[in-house]
Amino acid sequence: MTCVMTCTMATAALTSFAAHAEDVHVLNWKGYGTDEPWALKEFEAKTGYHVVNDFFNSEQEMLTKLRTNPGAYDVVMVNSAFNQQAREQNLLQPIDVTGMPNVADLNPKMRHSHLLEIGGQSYGIPWVWGVTSFAVNDTKVHPVPDTIQALWDPAYKGHVGMRDDAIEAVQFAALATGQNINDIKNLDAVKDKLKALTGQLKTFWSSENDWNQYVASGVFYISTYWSGSAARARNKFNLPVTFVIPKEGAIGWLDSLSIPKGAHNVAGAKAFINTMIDPGFYTQWDSRVGAPVSANVKAVAALPANAFNRAVLANPAVQSRIQFQEPITDDKRKAYLQLWQEIKAQAD
Amino acid sequence: MKQDNTIGPVELESQAVPNAPHTPRRRTWSVGAALGAIGYGYVVVMIGFLYLPILVMALMSANASPLYELPFHFTTHWYQALAEDGGLKAAALRSIEIALWTTLLSTILGVMASLAFFRYDFAGKRFLQAMLFPPMAIPWLITGTAMLIFFFAIGIGRGLHAILLGHVALALPYVIIVVGARLRTFSPELELAARSLGASGWQITWRVTLPAITPGVVAGALFAFAVSFDQFVVSYFLSDPGETTLPVEIYSAIRKGFTPEINAISTIIIVVSMGTMLIVSRLYRFGGEQ
Amino acid sequence: MKFALSSPQGRPLARAMTLAGPAYVWLLLAVFLPLSVMLFYSFMSDVPTSGGTWSLTFQNYLTFFDEPLYRKLMVRSLGLSAQVTLICTVLGFPCAYMLAKVIRGRTREALFLLIILPFWSNGLVRIFSWNMVLRSGGLVDWLLSHLWPWTVSTDLMFSYPAIVIGLVHSYLPYSVLTAYLSLQAIDDSLIEAARSMGAGRLTILRRLILPLAMPGMLAGAVLTFVPAVGAFMEPRLLGGRKGTFIGTVIEDQFVAVFNWPLGAALSFTLLALVLAILFAGMRLGRRREK
Repeated sequence: MTCVMTCTMATAALTSFAAHAEDVHVLNWKGYGTDEPWALKEFEAKTGYHVVNDFFNSEQEMLTKLRTNPGAYDVVMVNSAFNQQAREQNLLQPIDVTGMPNVADLNPKMRHSHLLEIGGQSYGIPWVWGVTSFAVNDTKVHPVPDTIQALWDPAYKGHVGMRDDAIEAVQFAALATGQNINDIKNLDAVKDKLKALTGQLKTFWSSENDWNQYVASGVFYISTYWSGSAARARNKFNLPVTFVIPKEGAIGWLDSLSIPKGAHNVAGAKAFINTMIDPGFYTQWDSRVGAPVSANVKAVAALPANAFNRAVLANPAVQSRIQFQEPITDDKRKAYLQLWQEIKAQAD
Repeated sequence: MKQDNTIGPVELESQAVPNAPHTPRRRTWSVGAALGAIGYGYVVVMIGFLYLPILVMALMSANASPLYELPFHFTTHWYQALAEDGGLKAAALRSIEIALWTTLLSTILGVMASLAFFRYDFAGKRFLQAMLFPPMAIPWLITGTAMLIFFFAIGIGRGLHAILLGHVALALPYVIIVVGARLRTFSPELELAARSLGASGWQITWRVTLPAITPGVVAGALFAFAVSFDQFVVSYFLSDPGETTLPVEIYSAIRKGFTPEINAISTIIIVVSMGTMLIVSRLYRFGGEQ
Repeated sequence: MKFALSSPQGRPLARAMTLAGPAYVWLLLAVFLPLSVMLFYSFMSDVPTSGGTWSLTFQNYLTFFDEPLYRKLMVRSLGLSAQVTLICTVLGFPCAYMLAKVIRGRTREALFLLIILPFWSNGLVRIFSWNMVLRSGGLVDWLLSHLWPWTVSTDLMFSYPAIVIGLVHSYLPYSVLTAYLSLQAIDDSLIEAARSMGAGRLTILRRLILPLAMPGMLAGAVLTFVPAVGAFMEPRLLGGRKGTFIGTVIEDQFVAVFNWPLGAALSFTLLALVLAILFAGMRLGRRREK
């Protein structure tokens, strides 16, 4: 056993050392585009770089990993609302986009978003964006509602789902009370709304698979969800799901790819990011697996005309209702968390 | 150590009265039989309860629906997918190896510590015993984060060695408490008697104490294996990307969602363990009969 | 009962340290030092990161007294843990008794191993399997609908009972096996002697068996109570919207916000409360003996 153990550790140390120069270390959610085996194979064949994936289960964890492992990662996926925090904690480096041809095709508003570009320097390349709203099981809920108040409809009591996320909860309640999600003035109204909502809930979901299972088994009739995931539930899992962007609006998020400070393989990182925003990769990703909307307008245009991402979310009327998330200060975040925990603790 | 005031064997014999009233054997026998039957039934129900989710897990590993939907359609699809999934298999093997090392190390260290508490009184003993609780009481998330930071600061970093370091530490309290419980029902007079006959400390331990507490040691070892094999939070923090353990793979999948592949590998592990254990129990007795 | 096994050969402290030393050095390096770092963090206003300022403060601990939320959840978690421990001890004892005193031979050893085995299945998969059993339309419903003429729909999922069931299932083997360890060491001749003296079953149980099995039962209770207070997986996954406990709230401090100081302070408060309860329990136990 000693021999096996020592040999394993030695081999691991040797291979990690030897393969070091040719590796690109990527940090992201699991199953979120950067670890698709077919894409990585193509990338390695084209560029010679071998991709090593690591994952996180929450944004806080992502920050912790960056903090406690400087230089360990070359590419990190940072939600744009967290980019400021990561920057302020000295975890990211500015990206020089020369040699990244696909950057020119990015949606200019996103490319130069104040969330990602500071003083003319880019700290994150916009990658994909999507919307958090709600979806219904259209065999149980008809007609399909067009208002967010449907979540509070007593007819669906005990069959409502949402994600256990304080920020999301507060922002949903803000939408339902007609407020700007990034500048909530009336927190009491939000509190009341959320108290009422917890009475409607059956449970929280934390993953796509959870959500799909709950809809399939009849636990959820109506639940908050992500746009891309709803498309996947419909197309891949054949669930009778309709995604709704109500008149009150929806929460928008933009995910971007950044290069951490101290990254060993910046050239490899840039090549990888360029591939991730490439229309060739994106169309395959969306059709094979299902993806959010690409920030590359050419990539979206390359999708089939009836693709959800192209047909629904590219619609300007819809886009005007979307409120994109801005960074939140730590203090506000803690306050929202405590508010949410208090409400949950009272659930009976 | 708590003084048991119950009657010991020596006292009882001196109290035995020759003309004790004769218990009516017939009536006791049928009550006894009834109790026995209920008892057996009870054990069966308990085992049933313990295995209910395991059976469901095994059943779902052969069900076609990726969303764990009934009705049941048999398939070996997930086992086939598993055969091709090198990552999951490697993680499982790594988990087993780490768990075996953890069991070995924590059992040896734990039994030694337990013996120390059992035999000796010394200043600070209560404190040391109380110190067994922090690893168990403090949520693993905290301990895991703390280990991550500390190991990073002193240069141990992440990896299999860090995981082993963490696992043994988490398993030790279990071994010490379990072996300690067994030692407490063990009569210290045996050790004294052996010493008065001239046996050395080492001989006493090996020939007298250890055989008598074997069930405790075995239970402690089995718990240690379980603690290590099922540990996901601390392992998650301390594992190197690409070299994870099975629970970490499963924990990471919690966001993306499970596929029945995970049921498949869990079922295989249970079946293999069951087989190994039943074989081992045929070959070795560790009931601890005196 | 403490006696000096050591008197013939010298300082008990030195001998005890040789035996217990390795285990505690390991614990020091892997757990105590990292947790000390966490303890230090709990007195900070913010975790030091480049670009931030921090200061020492008691505020994180005071929050526990200021905010009723944390007190409420602590009480709720302690209550849940106490319930689970009680149920496990009560359910586990008869099973352990059967195993130790009634069932003999190879069957006994096989059952002993079978009871440990569920520990080796992955915890997360087990909890998800409970989902299949307890949800409306799940296994329980299916069974009931076959046994009962009326359509019944129990929906145990996402409720407090579901959390209790999940936790009891996870910790039951501890109770059974630790009680078994003590029961199995009880000399059969003691029981026979008591019976031949005319003692009834209940008296034997109360006066002889339970006291002798106490060390094992207590160990099992401790191994269940202590970890269960900080449980977060079962409450989250089985409790649905009712699954807010101190463990989940502590987890949030690390996962949803970057408030390690508060999370650490809550954890150490939890640890202190648990130790206080154990200490009080020990005191009570000792007083009752006198």
